[in-house]
Amino acid sequence: MAGDDSHTRQMLLSLLVALLIVAAAIIVVTAKLGPTSAAEQEALEERQEERLKQREEIREERRERQEDQSGQDGS
Amino acid sequence: MEDLVESLTRGNPTEVKVVLASVALALAVYQLLLIAVGYGKLRPSFLAARPASAAHRASGDAIVVILVVVAVMCVSVFGFEDDALLHVVAGSALLAVLAVKIAVLRRWHGAGRFLPLLGTAVFLLLALTWLSSAGNFLADD
Repeated sequence: MAGDDSHTRQMLLSLLVALLIVAAAIIVVTAKLGPTSAAEQEALEERQEERLKQREEIREERRERQEDQSGQDGS
Repeated sequence: MEDLVESLTRGNPTEVKVVLASVALALAVYQLLLIAVGYGKLRPSFLAARPASAAHRASGDAIVVILVVVAVMCVSVFGFEDDALLHVVAGSALLAVLAVKIAVLRRWHGAGRFLPLLGTAVFLLLALTWLSSAGNFLADD
């Protein structure tokens, strides 16, 4: 009986080690792949586009403000 | 099928395939250790032969599922490309030997003496299949 318990425990521990190996393999390979995946690239491009849009909006606002100011100075 | 794989992997079928194949290979190395304990070639004090063999079978079942998923992804997205001949041959042979090994385990018990040979062949073919695809991909990365 005690031997069966010990064997069950050993088997469960062996499977736990297998799970750890799976986790380690996933971590190592995904770290090696890095941001080359299409999803990462898309996210990066989206962030860049967002930043460009924000910069464009700020520039536009500044230009409008400058035009308003020059209009007021002229009158 | 290709659309399903593309959507499930969010457009990264190669990357997902590489991760899954690498997991299978890592587990296969562990399988060698487990079965060495199971056959009494290694005798660690913390693991007996019976639980090692049972863990080998359970882990082996998981590897089969992973390999079938990888094979379906591979064939549906890439097909049988001529420029990946070694990979195609090694992968096909791997699935064939794996099928024979499962048949011996489940049905043809009389051929049980060939299991170590079949297991070694499965491991070597898996390593070759991985090297000719995922290994190349990771090396180029």
